[in-house]
Amino acid sequence: MSKGTKKYLKKKLIWFIITLIAAVILNFILPRLMRGGGKPMRYDPEIRNATIAQVGYSKEGQTDEIIARGEAEGKKYVDKEVWDAEYDRIAKEKGVYNPRSDVSIHALLAKKVTGDLSLTDEGRQLWCDTYDAIEKELGRDGGLLGEFWHFIEHIFDGTFGKSTSTTRYPNTVSSIISEGIVWTICLQIPAILLGWILGNLLGAIAAYKRKFWDKAVMPASLFVSAIPAFGSAVILLVVFGVNLKWFPVNRAYDTGMIPAFNWNFISNVLYHYQLPFWSIVLISIGGQAVGMRSMSIYELNADYVKYSRFLGIKDKRIVRYVFRNAMLPQVTGLAMSIGTSIGGALVAETIFSYPGLGMKMYAAISENDYNTVSGIALIITIMVLIAAFLLDLIYAVIDPRVKAAQFD
Amino acid sequence: MKKLLSLVLALALALSLVAVAGAEEAKDLPRNETVYFGGQQWGSIVGWNPLSPDNNNAMALSANPRGSREIMFETLYMYNMLDGQLYPLLADGEYVWNDDMTECTVKIKQAAYWSDFEPLTAKDVVATWEACKAINNNTYSSYAPYIEAIEATDDYTVVFKCVKNDEGKPANPLQLLQFFSGVYICQEAWLAKVSERNGGDATAILQDKAEDVVYSGPYGPYFANDQLVAFVRNDDYWGKDASMWGKLPVPKYIGHGIYADNDAALIAFKAGDIDCNQQFIANVQNLWLEDGLKISTYMSEAPYGLCATMPTAWYNMEIPALQVKEVRKAIAMAVDYENIIANAMTNQSPTFAEVPRSLMNPTEGEQAMYDHDAVKDLQWVGKDIEGAKALLDAAGIVDTDGDGYRELNGEKISLNACCPNGWTDWQAAMEIVAAAGQNIGLDIQTYYPEWSVYQTVFTAASQTEYAIFMYSPPGAQPASPWARVRAFMSSEFLGQDGNWNGNWGHWSNERADEIIKAIPLTSDPEELKALYTEATKIYLEEVPSFSLMYRPEQFHAVNESVWTGYPVAGDGLNIPPANLTDGYGVAALYYLRNVD
Repeated sequence: MSKGTKKYLKKKLIWFIITLIAAVILNFILPRLMRGGGKPMRYDPEIRNATIAQVGYSKEGQTDEIIARGEAEGKKYVDKEVWDAEYDRIAKEKGVYNPRSDVSIHALLAKKVTGDLSLTDEGRQLWCDTYDAIEKELGRDGGLLGEFWHFIEHIFDGTFGKSTSTTRYPNTVSSIISEGIVWTICLQIPAILLGWILGNLLGAIAAYKRKFWDKAVMPASLFVSAIPAFGSAVILLVVFGVNLKWFPVNRAYDTGMIPAFNWNFISNVLYHYQLPFWSIVLISIGGQAVGMRSMSIYELNADYVKYSRFLGIKDKRIVRYVFRNAMLPQVTGLAMSIGTSIGGALVAETIFSYPGLGMKMYAAISENDYNTVSGIALIITIMVLIAAFLLDLIYAVIDPRVKAAQFD
Repeated sequence: MKKLLSLVLALALALSLVAVAGAEEAKDLPRNETVYFGGQQWGSIVGWNPLSPDNNNAMALSANPRGSREIMFETLYMYNMLDGQLYPLLADGEYVWNDDMTECTVKIKQAAYWSDFEPLTAKDVVATWEACKAINNNTYSSYAPYIEAIEATDDYTVVFKCVKNDEGKPANPLQLLQFFSGVYICQEAWLAKVSERNGGDATAILQDKAEDVVYSGPYGPYFANDQLVAFVRNDDYWGKDASMWGKLPVPKYIGHGIYADNDAALIAFKAGDIDCNQQFIANVQNLWLEDGLKISTYMSEAPYGLCATMPTAWYNMEIPALQVKEVRKAIAMAVDYENIIANAMTNQSPTFAEVPRSLMNPTEGEQAMYDHDAVKDLQWVGKDIEGAKALLDAAGIVDTDGDGYRELNGEKISLNACCPNGWTDWQAAMEIVAAAGQNIGLDIQTYYPEWSVYQTVFTAASQTEYAIFMYSPPGAQPASPWARVRAFMSSEFLGQDGNWNGNWGHWSNERADEIIKAIPLTSDPEELKALYTEATKIYLEEVPSFSLMYRPEQFHAVNESVWTGYPVAGDGLNIPPANLTDGYGVAALYYLRNVD
């Protein structure tokens, strides 16, 4: 390996790491911005009792009868605002700012503590203790910073923490990812690559053959690409799945099938593969084709092509030269499109109920399962970064000018 | 470049092969030996632990007094919502109360044994309770206020001792019946093993996946991933003994495909990939009338299913305008219920003209428990705009500033009508409630928060975010209709956080509380009827909430492409439409047969 290559690699690697760190931080912060239920619910029994001792009971939630009965027993009642202010003051004094208001913990708690025990003091205590235990388990007891370290810690142990979804808890996020990642990789990598190859071929042919290819096929593919991912997937689903009944409309294989290494199963998987696969391929063709077409037209008018023609070199061979030269910027195009393609492909997964990461992500978002959202987003980010990094390396190999440029 | 491409493709292929080869060796489910369910299991299962609420394993573990799913684990009795009776499963014959109803004796079937062939005895029942107590799980927290102790007097006799109140009476005998049909019995030896391997730590025990669990039901685990959960029949099931079913259930396998959402499940149901579906299907009759599919429901005419609960709009008593009885009643009078039932429920509910509103569900048994004539004058039919307006006018709640909306103490009455986002039939109902408000000069706007947020707000001890909001009281279960009366009106839930029990509007009435206390200790039918009638009277007079429709406890639609012999109304078998699995509904599995 030459010195230049090493330097190039090093530089790329540093950028890779910087991007990764930024991605980790963003992945942590963004889902947590959508967290609901920030309003404090005044639950804490200790603070509650202290508040009652200070100002009396809150009128909130009590009817006139109850208040009258309470006052007859010598209880004191104050307005909600007064009571809340006092509660908040005591809470602040004790360093509890936003007690027990986390929506996702409430959801888990609703299953764990049921029944009339919550009518008694022990029941209330059980409720609070269980809340605190879940909060601790999920690393939510140390504020946002504490949660961040909890998140980082679990990135390193490879679990990404526990899912907070009521249907997945106490499973780890990594177990959810491992269910879906293979399906996503097997669906997306071939589809994105095929879309890229077909797009480039189409662009080159349109530039070279013109006529029908340039006037009809090219605009048609552009039209298809302009349809958003969810649109094209739904069109395929309705036309080929529901109306023509050529292909199954959802899932990765038939319901009663048990995954096994046999032709029966694999053929079933391939059969179910068709609609989601082509929905991803179709939308990525057009964009690539446009770039390739312009590059090819530019190359076709280059001096070396004219000279080759003049020399009488066969068309087929000239096309090969043109194609190779026009390809170079397209490799960059692939690196850039991987990110956007993945986003679109995840949408295709949810439309076809394909059991990949897109589906898991969709379910996690609807259940406020931040750990899983962060974990899947991070895995996707890492996959895209690695792909882009690899393409950068390949680019340096196939076009030495790039590497050379790094020396300046 | 070519090499790279082929490398990547080969890698992708290899990865998929690894994924496939990594799976267990189990055979595909033969279609004609498998009953597929739908609408119960969403997402892959977490575990098999009957002590934990966090299994997400609906087909194996759905313990509920209204009818626990009895295919893998079993309860002492099975509830039948058709006649409101408890039928013995692990129990042998009727339960027997002592004279002051402080103790109840249950015999255990001598024929019962576990999947490891060990006999199932009274000790297992005691051990189950003790294990729940040791880890303070949700079963214990639900029943501890009522059950003081469970003791085995011999191998096949269990005595339940009730918690006594200050007067020496049992705290609530009805709750014990809920235990009978709502708690799975676990094996003592297995419980000891789980406790030991987790060092007795409650959190660790609750999170144990329990893949080695010992069960007593007719089906055991076969296969589970994120696409399918499947069970296989245990041909050594004890219930084939003559003292129980006398034979094995018909289907060899039970499967539940895991679908992305309701729409995907409905497509599968129509295609015949689901046999028995627990899912609300709008205009379900069109599936056979228009699409010509072999789909049917428990009843061939509207309301198609057995309605056992009533989704209800609750008034938040913390909103000043709703503390005025006339406002509550006026809104309830103005709502167009027939529109709700026809559109939101697509007629899968009796109308309030057919079953007048009360605290009872529309089943015959409950309807007979109060005096219809005594509350006749208090009924309202709905869509009574003029009547509602007159009521508000008479109460002095009028539009004083001419903006078209009425004011209370000079302030415009603005309310929201809420239900969880995406619960489309409820949302349609709330739109109609909002429209009713507009018609009588009250500004009611709809508001649909996400369920995750909704559930924390409406169960809070106090909230002013939702004015009119929807939730259902308990449906049919051993303690109903008392449990429903309590959920509608009891003030014991006031000031309680994380309240899932009822009275979410935080209303209170002293007499109602007395009635709720008296019912569980009353056994004389006449006296009981008088109490229920009085409670209904208070409810209709005070309108702390109002039901919008009737609704099945569970939906139950079947596709007869592969299986037939499902329970239908009037077949004389007395099997409730409980998805072939819940409570006494499990008896349906013994009557199924393949379509020729």
